[in-house]
Amino acid sequence: MRIYLIGFIILALLGSAGYVIKLQRDNTILKENAVKLEGAISEQKQVIENQKKDFAEILEANKKINELVNNLKKDLDDLDKRFSKKDRDIGKLAIDRTKVIERIINKGSDNATRCIEIASGSPLTEKEKNATKKSEINPECPSIANPSYVSY
Amino acid sequence: MLILLTFLTNCSGVKKLSIFKEEVKRQELNLEKPTPLQLEQIKWIIITSENADEVFKKMEEQGLDPVLFGLTDNDYQLIAKNFAQIRNQLKITNDLLDKYKEYYEPTPK
Repeated sequence: MRIYLIGFIILALLGSAGYVIKLQRDNTILKENAVKLEGAISEQKQVIENQKKDFAEILEANKKINELVNNLKKDLDDLDKRFSKKDRDIGKLAIDRTKVIERIINKGSDNATRCIEIASGSPLTEKEKNATKKSEINPECPSIANPSYVSY
Repeated sequence: MLILLTFLTNCSGVKKLSIFKEEVKRQELNLEKPTPLQLEQIKWIIITSENADEVFKKMEEQGLDPVLFGLTDNDYQLIAKNFAQIRNQLKITNDLLDKYKEYYEPTPK
């Protein structure tokens, strides 16, 4: 009877020791898991930050494109106005002052040609970049040819 | 009973958490931008009923064929506006391409 009791106590002690060891192991794993979760949370925060940055970039790009579209529309409207300003009839003007209008049209054509080159990606010259006066700009497309020019 | 309980509790433990994260970056497209246009200059000649003879005479003197491809003043305005629209579209398309490239393939700063 006594031997059984001792055996039982030993077994119980061994069982308890095993259980404590298991708890310690679980605790270590839980700590590791917590560190991993913290890492994952910090990575998620970084992802959210990056997404915010992306949204800001998208908004900025949209804004720039909208500005460009509006500026180009203005250039087009200005061209329209130049043809019809004060009931101007370019045909009649060409009959009355043929040479002058021919010179103006050729100058305008050269400017418009340059505008197409710029629109296709041709880099701006220093003169174009620095133009601020009306007499210095390319009147066909100041919005893309003369970034320093402010309409007045 | 106690032994059985000890064995059972030892079997069900806390599982190790594994987080897999593998980001495979997409290859950059890296297409060359088209070469900017270099256009030829053209010369407009205004011809009226009064200067027609003079214009043709001058052309012959310059060794040019005495022939002109004409536009009315209205059509001249339309062609100017058409080219302005083509130019605008070209600029917008080019800028859109740049924006896409900046966004998806940013150059490291």
